[in-house]
Formats: sequence, structure tokens, C-alpha cells
Amino acid sequence: MQNTMKESDPILEVQNLFASTDNLPILKGVSLTVYPGEIHAIMGRNGCGKSTLSKIIAGHPSYNVTNGEIKFSGENINSLEPEERSQSGIFLGFQYPIEIPGVSNLEFLRVSTNARRKFLNKEELDTFDFEELVKEKLELVKMDHAFLSRSVNQGFSGGEKKRNEILQMALLEPKIAILDETDSGLDIDALRIVASGIKKISNAQTGIILITHYQRLLDEIEPNYVHVMADGQIIKTGGSDLALELEKKGYEWTDNFVKET
Amino acid sequence: MKIIEKIKTNKLIDNPTEIQKFCLHKLQSRPLPNFKSELWRLSNKSKFSEFLDYSVNEKEPKFDIPFSKNSQNTIRLIIGENRQINLIEENYSIEQLSEDKLDEYFKEQISYFDQNQNWSDLLNLSLSCTKNILGLKINGSKIPPIEIFSHASNNSLSAKTLVIILEKNCDIELLQVNLGKENSSLSQSTFFCIEENSSLNHGVVSYGEKRSNLLNSLNVIQHKNSEYNLGTLHFKFNYARFEICIKQSVGEAKTNIKSMQITKKDEQISTYTRIDFNGPDGFLDQINKSLADDKSHAIFEGSIIVPKIAQKTDASQLSRNLLLSNFAQIDTKPQLEIIADDVKCKHGATISQLNEEELFYMRTRGITLPEASKLQLSSYFQEIISFIPVSKDRWNLLDKLLNEN
Amino acid sequence: MVEENLVKDVVKEPYKYGFVTDIETEKIEKGLNEDIIRLISHKKEEPKYLLDFRLKAFKKWQKMEEPDWAGLGYKQIDYQDIIYYSAPKQKEKISSLDEVDPKLLETFDKLGIPLTEQKKLTNVAVDAVFDSVSIATTFREELAEHGVIFCSISEAVKNHSDLIEKYLGTVVPASDNYFAALNSAVFSDGSFVYIPKGVTCPMDLSSYFRINSGDSGQFERTLIIAEESSSVSYLEGCTAPMFDTNTLHAAVVELIALDDASIKYSTVQNWYAGDEEGVGGIFNFVTKRGKCLGKRSKISWSQVETGSAITWKYPSCILLGEESIGEFYSVALTNNLQKADTGTKMIHIGPKTKSTIVSKGISAGNSINSYRGLVKMGTKATGSRNYSQCDSMLIGDQASANTFPYIKSQQPNSEIEHEASTCRISEDQLFYLQSRGIEFEEAISMMVSGFCRDVFNQLPMEFAAEADKLLALKLEGSVG
Repeated sequence: MQNTMKESDPILEVQNLFASTDNLPILKGVSLTVYPGEIHAIMGRNGCGKSTLSKIIAGHPSYNVTNGEIKFSGENINSLEPEERSQSGIFLGFQYPIEIPGVSNLEFLRVSTNARRKFLNKEELDTFDFEELVKEKLELVKMDHAFLSRSVNQGFSGGEKKRNEILQMALLEPKIAILDETDSGLDIDALRIVASGIKKISNAQTGIILITHYQRLLDEIEPNYVHVMADGQIIKTGGSDLALELEKKGYEWTDNFVKET
Repeated sequence: MKIIEKIKTNKLIDNPTEIQKFCLHKLQSRPLPNFKSELWRLSNKSKFSEFLDYSVNEKEPKFDIPFSKNSQNTIRLIIGENRQINLIEENYSIEQLSEDKLDEYFKEQISYFDQNQNWSDLLNLSLSCTKNILGLKINGSKIPPIEIFSHASNNSLSAKTLVIILEKNCDIELLQVNLGKENSSLSQSTFFCIEENSSLNHGVVSYGEKRSNLLNSLNVIQHKNSEYNLGTLHFKFNYARFEICIKQSVGEAKTNIKSMQITKKDEQISTYTRIDFNGPDGFLDQINKSLADDKSHAIFEGSIIVPKIAQKTDASQLSRNLLLSNFAQIDTKPQLEIIADDVKCKHGATISQLNEEELFYMRTRGITLPEASKLQLSSYFQEIISFIPVSKDRWNLLDKLLNEN
Repeated sequence: MVEENLVKDVVKEPYKYGFVTDIETEKIEKGLNEDIIRLISHKKEEPKYLLDFRLKAFKKWQKMEEPDWAGLGYKQIDYQDIIYYSAPKQKEKISSLDEVDPKLLETFDKLGIPLTEQKKLTNVAVDAVFDSVSIATTFREELAEHGVIFCSISEAVKNHSDLIEKYLGTVVPASDNYFAALNSAVFSDGSFVYIPKGVTCPMDLSSYFRINSGDSGQFERTLIIAEESSSVSYLEGCTAPMFDTNTLHAAVVELIALDDASIKYSTVQNWYAGDEEGVGGIFNFVTKRGKCLGKRSKISWSQVETGSAITWKYPSCILLGEESIGEFYSVALTNNLQKADTGTKMIHIGPKTKSTIVSKGISAGNSINSYRGLVKMGTKATGSRNYSQCDSMLIGDQASANTFPYIKSQQPNSEIEHEASTCRISEDQLFYLQSRGIEFEEAISMMVSGFCRDVFNQLPMEFAAEADKLLALKLEGSVG
């Protein structure tokens, strides 16, 4: 890691994390620390474990942490349920947001926003107040009000789904947001909308982890750190110039790197 | 099984009508359904005998409808407490069928009966006294929604019969509510005839109290260019069977069915459907959902029969099942029998738990597991409930009922 | 698409395996009773436990009722009018293939299964069964080098009695069903395969069943045991001469797979189906079942069913071992007055077991083609999955296709998914192919084999080609 002085405590500390699914090891010792106001990018080939890392931080039940720990605001969260992690301020933006037929988007957003507000000892919002809040946030991602009356993500285009994710992020006001390939499947206009949404939501108190293969999201949101993952490990960390280097060199060298070590 | 003994010894009813005599006679030749047949093999025998262990109560207490009308002009009828119905309005008429007409109608129906397939109807028509048979002939346009209630009172067996003849070019909404009181058995048989160019939106909501039983049979004949939409919900019965038999008499008709059964505790609820296409260009879209929790057992068997004459039939049947407990079980058997070659038929079935990825997604948004499960279940129900006419504005009530216990 | 006159204008390709071999046979008298069973057992010089097995099965059979639930509606079978043992007369002990009656070798030659050293198929070991007995098994020495036992079941009774006693009837108990009980009482021969621990069988094994005699039934019994971490691919082929009487074929096949073992069992069934009027043909009532006893074991059934007047057959898997896998891939083609009721049972007992069912039914003429299957998740089958796909294709408006999937689950943490559809060959598809210069019949058979592709892909190479040809042959003239 670069040797800068950190004034405040880290939001997220991942320490030597090993994890597996169906007895298959996926993460093989990942360490990562995020301080308030920082933007980290994690890059790597498909299957290198970067999506898994994000799911494990969010508490996906299919993965077992076999070693190491995840600390959020200084507390070990290994045994917390996904909803407890969310309520305390961890947000995962899904690569493939799940469609939930029959559950109205508005109701879904309201219940989840209230769950977070309850945790923060804020007053829960009734339907009326919530609509006011949503209207304001819809602006951020340039979404139409009509989205709210549809089922969660059902029949949404790729771009609409991703904007719905950012809308949720705006409503939940997380302390850390992990955005898993939020840029994939977006055209350039949608990418700009999403990127500007992310920038508006984040501030000096929040941390952001961007998981991506491509430079183009990082052109919009410049990261403080870029990590390269291969075979379940972070094999290299650098500044935003590392992403540009990757863009040029591709990822092939990461395979060799793994073989050598 | 008190009832069966009475059938055998010819002591079931005093002063039977001609129809009752006839059906009783048929039953006496073989009093019980064939438990080896596909229609009955999964039926819980001891629960079935519980159904037959009550006796008929001639003097039923007055029945209070448990919820209010949804709109002022809704027509509400309680089978067994009929006043004379003869509504002749400017646009429409609803007339009661005379006893003679009903006799004639039943005679024709019975001639098509199959001893095993129509066992429930034979029992029903043996037991249903004149007072408990409601027959309506409906005609005209802008007909207000109709609600019809059947119930069985405590510690007794009731048989109620409903006949509706929907004449040409009519369009109605009808909600049928079957209620079982504590320790009761209800035998409900319903016969619909939907004539040409008519459309019927039919809802059936059946629910019971402690240890109530239900044998619900629905026979529908659809004529040319008719449309029949059926939304049903069965829950909270110790034992319930819902038998649906729909015939498209000459094809060229549309049938949509969305049915659901919810079983908890040690309940057994089953739905059997049989759709016959007796002519070309028929259409069917059917979905049945089951949800089984605790130690309960939910059953769905559906057959689609497409003979040679039914070319260009387009039929689809889905069976979606949620198994929520380690001790519950679900049986499902969607089946196709096809002889025509120019048809589009498909069916599908799934049995699983609630979708884990959907649950995880909601949990990452701070929604607790029980809340997320409830949201998912509500959405699972909603598809069916929203199809039940007159129920949209009563969703809260149904939601409450479904979430009891 | 189908022009009526063409449907009726049936150009029949004669059943090319319909010849009779004129050979002196040793038959016992017709009829079935305890003495007959003792006689069969005596002829085969069987140990006492096997005679007891037969007699017990016979007692059970006598108490059983012939099933009628499959709705096949066949002519009553007179079980006293069948010869239960018929064997070509040969020298008592045959030490090599050269001593086999040349007429028999010629028969198998004509069937495309040459047995002699010079001509035998190079990549497949064959056990040739003629009526009630196995007459030859090729490549025995080569297989023995790998420890693989491949011989007739009669020989196995003599030389590997311990294995027979241990496994026979453990997958399909004698009382399992009417025809299995009958088979257990009177089975005459069949194949036995034993693959030892860790061995991958070096070549495909195959049995070829030939019914020659018109008045005897064939009751063969096959037993395949795959020890830990072994694997084998087994092929089965069947033909029979054309007789105007119905011949009964009631076989039992038992497969056992231990830890990490895998058995692939492929069948191309082309028994004589009877003529267009439905006269004659084989009644094929077969019980095939595999037990995935070991962890991660796998049993895969693939079948192409084109023959027999009536087929009643449900190759099944009992998935006991954790993470064991069952598969069933089937193409069933019926024409004229054939009736086929076939499918599978996947019984998930162990945790994390998986099964796949792909069934393609094609019905033409006045035939009835039904898929009947059972998928059951037992209470301990947590994390198990099944996927079933059953498609039917109807050719002509007199044929019928039925689908009867029985689905039962007692385990919430498991998933069952079943899909079925019915289709016909569309005019647009036909026109498209024809407009590219493809002959009408060629276009039909292209589409039929396209329809069956998922299943053919599962068959061993030689079999897939044969199956393709067979379908084209069977369909010839049935569509117009």
C-alpha cells in the first residue's frame, strides 16, 4: 500500500481472506483497506475472484470464509447476516441485479430504506414522505417515476437495472459502496449518468470500491488506488495510472504472474 | 364413515327427490371412489373419511357474511337461504331456474357422469335438498357483480349446489366464497353453462376454520367464442379437494385458469383439473401454484385432452410449487394427451423453495429474511389473487387471512 | 403440409431383420409351472440358491396381477402357451468360436454383428444371445487382462457365483413388478459384466439379442457391476424375425455403480413391430434399473426405441450415494399401430444427487407414444436437482402423444423442473428446406433427427449413426 498518513479510522478492512464455495477455494488470501473518502478499483480477468470478494463482503450465504476476517468500522462482521451488513452501511451494487416478479419497486425501496433508517435511529418514512424522497433521488439517475410502479428490475433494460442500483445506493446512503461491474452493458450516455450519480452520492465520509475490467468507468471516476486480482489474490496495487497500463498490456501477464508465484 | 353407511342402507335422506334417488342409486352400486385411480390415489384416506363422518344438518343456523360488499350494486346470494330471485332490469335479467328446469338440466348432466370422475357430484346431488340448490339464468348487459356464498356450519355436513346458465352475449363477474366452520364438511358442486360469445370472470375463494373439510367440484361447459377466466384460492382446510372439469364443447373458446392452494399444519389440499377440447382453435392458459408448509401435503393433477378434432389448439399449463418445510410434501402431475397433430401444447412444473438469489438481493438492501420471505410470498400470491374478480380491493383482507397463524 | 393421399400411400421399407434362421433347436414343452422352472435350472446346472430365487419369484408372480395401468390395451397373453427355454443345438462345451454352428455365425453376420476372429468388430466386445442362450462372447481374453469379466450370465453363475449371489435381484427385486417376477422365475441367459476397482473398460461392451423362435419368449437378465472408480460403456441391440404371432420379451437389467464409478448403458431396440395392421410383433416388457450405490457414482441410460408392437419400459436410477448422478436420454419412435409407454424413474434418496431426463417421442401412423416418468425427492435428498424435458412430435393426425410426469418432493432444499412441449414439422420449415433443393423425405428425416439431436449426442458414435439411419427408415412413407 502507498504510505500516506490516514487521519481517520478505516471503514473496511479485509485481512488475509480465504473463502470457498462447494469446497472449491475462490479467495486465497485477500487483504484490502479502505479509508473514508477513498475510491478503490479492483480489476482482473473473469473468474479471478473479484465478484466473489464483493459477494462475501455483502454476506452471500453460498460462500464460506475459511480464514481471515472482514472488519467494518473496526468490528468483525464475519457472522453478520446480509441484511445486518446492509443496515449498518455496506452496499453492494450487483453485476446482474435480480428480477423479482410481483414485488413492486416502490415498496421494495421503501422497506429497504426504512430498514437502514431504523438502524440509524432516523424516523421511518410513510408512503407519502417516501415518495417525496424518491422523487428527489430519481433526479440523480435520471429515472422516470413510472419505474417505481413496476416489479423490481423485471423487464428493465440493462441500463435501467444499473440505474436502479444507483438509486438504491442514493436512498440507503451507505458508508461503503461496492459496485460490481456497474459499467458493464451500459452505453456511453448511461455510463455518464451512472458515474455522475455515484460521484454525487459519495463524499468525504464514504468509501467506494469499483469492480471493473475496463478503463472507461475509471475515466469518469478517478480511483485513488487500483488493485489487480488474479487467482483469488491481489497481485498488484498502484495508482490510477496502473489502470491505464492494464488497458495497454491486457491481462495476460497476470496469468503468468500467478504461475510464477 | 357415517355417510357411506347411510348410502348403503338407503337411510341418507328422507323424501328424496327424483334426482336424489337417481344419484343415490348410482352411488349404491359403488359407494366409495376408486382409491387406486389417478384421481384418488394420493387422497388421504383417513382425512377423506373424516369428511364423511358428519351428518347432514337440516336446520342450519343463519349465516353471517364475514365481509362487507365491495360496491353498492353487488348482488349477494347465500345458497340455502334463497329468497326468490327474479331481477328483471332494463339491461339485464337474473331469473331463478324452476325445479322442473333444474331436474331436466341435472338429468342431462348426469347422463355424462363417470362414476369415479364425478363421484363428488353424485354425492353432492344425492345430498342437496331443493332448498340448497340455486339455479340462475342470466341474460343481458352491464350486469352488476355477483357474490355467492356457501357454507357448512359446525359439526355437520352441508351440500350446496349452484347452477348458472349464462345466455348468449353476456359478460359477468362472479365471486364464489366457500366457508367451512369448525369441524364441518362442505360439499359444493357448481355447474356453469357459458353460451356463445359470453364471458365469465369467476373467482372461487374457499377457506375453513379448524378441521373443516371441503369437496368442491366445478363443471363448466363453454360454447363457441366464449371466454372463461377462473381465479381460485383454497386454504385452511383439514382436507379439501377441488375438482375442475372444463369442456370446450366445439373448441373456439378461451380458458384462463389461475389457481392456488396453501397448506399448513397437517392439511391436505388437492386440485384436479381436466380440460377437454372438443373442437378446433381452443385456447388454454393455466397456472396452478401450491405452497406447502409444516407437515402438510399439496397435490395438483391436471390433464389436457386434445382429440383429433381439436386441431390448432393452443394450450399451456404450468405447475409452480413452493415446498417450505422438511416435513411437507408436494405431488404434481401435469399431463397432456394429444391426438391432433397441428397443436401447440406445452406444460411445465417446478418444485423448489423461495428463490435464494432474490432473497439475498433483498437482504443486501437491509430487508430481514422473514420480511424478504413475506414479500416474495406476497408476490407469489399476487399473480393469482389479482386474477380473482372482486378481490383486488379485498387484497388486504386476503393478505390478512393468508398471514394468519 | 401433409397431403392426405401421401399419408395413405405408404411405401414400406421391409423390416430387414425379419428372416428366420433354420437351425435345430432344443425346446422344452410349452407352459409354466414349478417343474418347468426346476428343468430350466437343472439344464443350466445352477446352484441351489438360484433355484430357490427362481421358485420364490414364481410364487410371487402367481399371486400378482398383470398390470393394466399403462393403458396399453394389448391382447391377453396366455402364459401357458409360451416356451420358456429354447436353445440352438450345439456341442455340449464350446471351447472356441470355431466350434459355434456356422448357421448361427451367419445369422449374426447378416445382422451386421460378425463374431468370428477375422471379421469381428474391432472396438466392441460382443455377447451374442440367440433365443434363450448366449452363443459367443468376443474379446474375452483381452478384457480379462484388465480384470474385466464379460460373459453370459449362465457362465457367471458357474464361475463367479459369489458376485451373482451378492448382487442378483438387489436392484430389481423379484417382487418388483409382474414381468420382473416372471423374468426372475424363468430367465434363461443374458450378459454379465464386472469392472474391477479403478479400471476404465478398454472397449465398449455390447450384447446383441436375437429372438429366432416364434413361440418362445425371451427372458434375458443382465447384471453390470462397476466397482469403485471404474467405468464402462455398454451397448445393447435387439432384433427378431417377422412372425404373425406376438412374442413376449420380458428382460431385467440391473446396474450397480459404487463410489466414483460410471456406467453408460445404450440401447437401440428394433424388435419386429408387427405389420401395418398390427399383426405380430414383440411385446417388450422390460425392467431396467440402476442403483447409484456409491458416492459420486453415475448411471446414464440412453435409448432409441423404434421397434416392438408394445413397449413398456422405464430405465430408472436409484440415487443413493451422495452426489450421484442419474441420466436418461430417450428417443421413442412409433408408427402404424405401435404402442410405446416409456420413460424413467429418478428416485433421489441421497443428498446432492442430480438427474437429467431428456425424452423425445415421435408418433406417426395410428400409434400411441407416451412418456411416463417419476421424479421423487426423498426427505434426505437435500441439495438435489432434477431437470426434465419431454418433447413430442406428431406426424399425421391419427397419432397420439401423451405425457404423464409424476413429480413428488418431500425435500424443500431441492429443485425439480419439468418442461414438455408438443410440436409438428411446420410447413415453413419444410418449405425452407425444399426451396434449398432438399428432397421431401430427406427434409422430414433431417428435421426428425434434428429434433432428436440432444439424445443422439449421448449415444456412442457407431450407435448414433445407426440410430439416425433407423429413424429415417422407420419413417419412410409415414409422412407424405
